[in-house]
Amino acid sequence: MPTLTIDNQTITVPEGTNVLEAARQLGIEVPHFCHHEALGSVGACRLCAVEFLEGPVKGIQMSCMVLAKDDMVIDTGSDGVLAYRAQVIEWLMTNHPHDCPVCDEGGECQLQDMTVAGGHGVRRYTGPKRTYQNQDLGPFIAHEMNRCIQCYRCVRTYQEYCGGKDFGVMGTRQRLYFGRFSDGPLESPFSGNLVDVCPTGVLTDKTYRYKSRIWDLQEAPSICPHCSLGCAVIPGARYQELQRRRARTNRRTNGHFICDRGRFGYGYVNHPDRPRAPLLGHRRVTWQEALAALQNHLHEFCELYGSGSISMLSSSRASLETQFLTKRWANALGSGQLCFEAHPRRDQAARVAASQAPDCSASMEDIRSCDMAVLVGADPLAEAPMLALALRQAARRGARIVVVDPRPVELPIDCERHAAAPEELPRILQGLTRPQQNAFASASEEFGGALGRALLEAKNPVLIGGSDLLGPQGCQMLLKAAEACSPTGSTCRSMLLLAGPNSFGGAMLSDDGPGFDALLEGMEQGRIKSLVCIEADPVADYPDRKRCRAALARLDLLVVFDCAATATVQEADLFFPTTALEEAAGTLVNNEGRMQAFEKVFSAGTPLLQSAAGDHPPRFFSRDIPGSHPQPAWTTLARLLGRDAELEKVRRELEKIDPRFDGLAGLTADSEGCRVVAPRQAPALVAAPASGVTASDQLHLLVTEHLYGSELLSDLSPCLQAVKSDPYVWLHPQDVARLKLVEGKPVRLCTSLGEWTLELRINGDISPGVAVVPRLRGTVVETLVPGSEPMLCRIEKA
Amino acid sequence: MGLWKDIKGTFLPFWVTLRYLFRRPVTVCYPERKQPPAPRYRGRLVLTRDPDGEERCVACYLCSAACPVDCISMQAAEREDGRRYAAWFRINFSRCIFCGLCTEACPTLALQTTAEYELATRELLQVVCEKDELLIDGCGKNTEYNFYRLAGIGVVAPRGGNPGETPPEDIRTNMP
Repeated sequence: MPTLTIDNQTITVPEGTNVLEAARQLGIEVPHFCHHEALGSVGACRLCAVEFLEGPVKGIQMSCMVLAKDDMVIDTGSDGVLAYRAQVIEWLMTNHPHDCPVCDEGGECQLQDMTVAGGHGVRRYTGPKRTYQNQDLGPFIAHEMNRCIQCYRCVRTYQEYCGGKDFGVMGTRQRLYFGRFSDGPLESPFSGNLVDVCPTGVLTDKTYRYKSRIWDLQEAPSICPHCSLGCAVIPGARYQELQRRRARTNRRTNGHFICDRGRFGYGYVNHPDRPRAPLLGHRRVTWQEALAALQNHLHEFCELYGSGSISMLSSSRASLETQFLTKRWANALGSGQLCFEAHPRRDQAARVAASQAPDCSASMEDIRSCDMAVLVGADPLAEAPMLALALRQAARRGARIVVVDPRPVELPIDCERHAAAPEELPRILQGLTRPQQNAFASASEEFGGALGRALLEAKNPVLIGGSDLLGPQGCQMLLKAAEACSPTGSTCRSMLLLAGPNSFGGAMLSDDGPGFDALLEGMEQGRIKSLVCIEADPVADYPDRKRCRAALARLDLLVVFDCAATATVQEADLFFPTTALEEAAGTLVNNEGRMQAFEKVFSAGTPLLQSAAGDHPPRFFSRDIPGSHPQPAWTTLARLLGRDAELEKVRRELEKIDPRFDGLAGLTADSEGCRVVAPRQAPALVAAPASGVTASDQLHLLVTEHLYGSELLSDLSPCLQAVKSDPYVWLHPQDVARLKLVEGKPVRLCTSLGEWTLELRINGDISPGVAVVPRLRGTVVETLVPGSEPMLCRIEKA
Repeated sequence: MGLWKDIKGTFLPFWVTLRYLFRRPVTVCYPERKQPPAPRYRGRLVLTRDPDGEERCVACYLCSAACPVDCISMQAAEREDGRRYAAWFRINFSRCIFCGLCTEACPTLALQTTAEYELATRELLQVVCEKDELLIDGCGKNTEYNFYRLAGIGVVAPRGGNPGETPPEDIRTNMP
């Protein structure tokens, strides 16, 4: 632990800390371009020079390249240092174009800041400037190579941190070129991070091109709602339009980066079809009329049929406050017909995940620092993309990554892949729960046992499971396996990938409540007369769409609160517009049980781009903003409960009633969040039905999540439509040969739920006897939902 | 001493008034006669064009950032040839204090002050000017400056084809 003095302040830092980081800990920001906390130091930009007055090193040195040592005395702002930095800036500017007014980085450009800080105003060098041709890097990233200052941050991020292979550096000397070998979209699903790391305007956000300057943006710390990991983001809005999202730093979850689904999935907030006014039938009404109608109807149902005729459904998209007030409202009405997830198996899986002891669950930070990770039935890039990046960081430090999955799981690392058939997964988990055992009943169990022994020998092992493939029973076995595989003196942490950003919160609040299956049964039997969906879309999320639609059609009243034009909204008798995540404050609980608060970024309203059709704002005066009717669901619920709509009060009440959420009231949005204190009790699960014997022409159908197109909100984002895939089915070459099919040709997929014609793709990494179909909303296969009961299918020539 | 000062103070103003009775008045009969303003007078703002006749404004938002009374608003957009321009540009002259900070901030010399000062109206919306009312067919005070010729990113000339630039580097060769 060296102790050193920087600018007359003394600090003790851990061994291996460089001087730049040590200064930062004292609150002294040494100017730099190429150093980045997540990427490390390379000493390429020469800007972080400081003067070493005493100690083992003397003179002007790069602070990022010198490790802190005892007795160092450092001046970060001596005359010599300032002159040196001014010189470096002047060199960097000899080739930089004079185009700040048309550069999107302007206002948040490190080079701009440093040029002003270094005092460089007039270019003394009179030689010509070097130029480059730009490349088309796809729909997300705009390229302007003339602005480059050769800091190498982009290449280090793209290749080293994110594992992309199609973007690199070419050329020599001052003719370095950062780009692809030829034009084309960047292949990495983490390419958006180039925008954040580039210290100048070479790589900028194409979806945000020329929209705003940072000083005009409304920004606030927020959470990404597109998967269950809860990455920290900063959305930016202007003129009632959410214009971009950038990564925020949370060392416990995402670190410094986010995935492209999170970065470019913001468009749902501005969607032109978003319903923005309360609807009674299909007639626009005022809030007062709609609320009065709701209260009258529910009162009537209570009188006529009893409070059991009213049911409520929330979802993993709803904030913890909304879920809590939904529960309070159901209690106030006397109805126990309440659940927090329309997909029964996902609901059960979330309840299992929430029954895990908080100190045994793995955070993303734990995964980045693990030395062995076993993924069972988890496809990180599709289900929780940032997990893939965390696993890559672990692998870069030498961790062993084992993927056990029937699907062709792609990761940005070389890892051990084991293609296991779906029915093998429980047996492998069974083996994992008994790592000490010598004899096993089957080869799969033995494989599981061997993995378990490897986990026992590791120092910080992590076991990761996907709830869609494992189902609730599998999730429970995985938690047991993690317990059994804990090495002495440490724990094998586990992580379960859940369906949505607040699945965990819903599972905590749902206690022993019924699942949506029970609610549907009630509707079919006529016991339940009304359903209130709060930010839930049962039509799209329930695995059997026909059954769900039929049951909803029997209802006397379907009330929907939502911020998107979902399939359920089309059927609603009474609709209330709610705010999107960025338009209100709240809390989400991610899949490790971390409560994270988010702030309101901007007020809901129709984007000016839509209300003025791209032209100037309308030339008349009005009192309110057009389209500003959406209200946070929890404020409406608070009004229905007859209390103040104050977030603080709701949080304090939840904390008081349910001590497991201790610390909620004190949460701030820019903190790292805190875990729930205690687990819920484990749900009682019925044994998994034995999968049917496969006839020779039948295959196991696996419907899985896809990086783009599966998640409701990000699928509504226009900028992600360009990268959305056409529907396809994946088969093993053996099955293709057996069924005499041809790759690339359309085939017919026949299941008990219906028949579809899809493109056939072949993949050798898939388990034989399995057909994998990604869920793609808005396509022919949108009725197929991942995570449903195991299903059999036939595949024929179309 | 005090008495003498009081007497002087009483009569001096009368003397001044009397003196000016026999001089030509400095006031003019506005609006029949108009006084020419000073050459650098800061009156109504205009958007000018570059010597090639294209809009100079690139909607960089610097004028709206510099404006102390927030009377300028705009939205940038991209033309097909890559030129950044203002999709709409609005100056609310009912708020404008004619300080000229926007013209000092303007990096492309697009926004310039003129000598026009007759802006009074009873209709408030008449002084909320949109781009078509602000854009003039001329270069204004500078007849030579064309931002895109000096910006170094192409648009008006092929990349690397503007003065003071080398042709684009060939990235497929490592030869010096």
